[in-house]
Amino acid sequence: MGGQACVFYGAAQFSKDVDLALLASEENFSRLLAALSDLNAKRIAVPRFDPDLLARGHAVHFRCQGGDADGLRVDVMTRLRDLADFAVLWARRTTISDENGETFELLSVGDLVQAKKTQRERDWPMIDALVEGHYRALGREPTSERVAFWLAESRTPERLMGLVQRFPNEARAHSSQRPLLRLAFSGESEALRKALDAEARAEQAKDRAYWAPLKAEFEAFRHAEREGC
Amino acid sequence: MTYEEMPEEWQEWLALTPLERFRQSEQIFAQYLTMGGSLDPDPDPTSPFYDPETSGTGAAYGRPGLRVLRRGAI
Repeated sequence: MGGQACVFYGAAQFSKDVDLALLASEENFSRLLAALSDLNAKRIAVPRFDPDLLARGHAVHFRCQGGDADGLRVDVMTRLRDLADFAVLWARRTTISDENGETFELLSVGDLVQAKKTQRERDWPMIDALVEGHYRALGREPTSERVAFWLAESRTPERLMGLVQRFPNEARAHSSQRPLLRLAFSGESEALRKALDAEARAEQAKDRAYWAPLKAEFEAFRHAEREGC
Repeated sequence: MTYEEMPEEWQEWLALTPLERFRQSEQIFAQYLTMGGSLDPDPDPTSPFYDPETSGTGAAYGRPGLRVLRRGAI
């Protein structure tokens, strides 16, 4: 769901870890722990592996030891901020198969964009690249869902001004949800740039507010682990 | 940045299929490891997972055993 998915969609060139979004079920947890055991993966940070903590939004971090995956980090989550339940994410996932029949299950590009709306500065250029790559790949085959995605998520004034020219009716309909589209109609690129920046800052503030209680828990977990509790 | 404004390298990257990108990424990853690249997360104080005590030192300092022989004023 993280950098590896961004590689498939064209927004990154490689990722140093593997991020997994997992269906929270006993059977799945058993399979995950068996797979991690096969990779000799050890937990490397707080919190401990606990389905209740995962359900509250925490991530659990592992590092593989030995073999081809030596040193590779694997991060696991079952809940992501402002994203649908796993069943919905799974239903709209992207599946890619290679020449050997191996399949890769990815968050849909729309869900990946949503997941990247974090407080981390480095995630925002990824969103630009994900949406731009999607438009570049599928811009000649617009569907109502794709047009809605481009209008909702494009983050450059130039692209937005192009989109409202190309899809004026859809853009007007969507402007109540994303008021900055009105600036795209009037061609106010500098005002649009500022509005896009404000939009990102607002999302980052939401993300910080979401993580604040979880970070407080991290600190308590770290302290407890240092104390050997 | 729109596609048209992207550097040629990124345009070429986007022109690949998803699977071609994945295979290229595997090669880049292997090269990165060969050069001693660290798998520690980059220090990122804006990440909710950032822990100064467990975070890596960043790619600028490379693998263990490398020493800085010269550096500029910064």
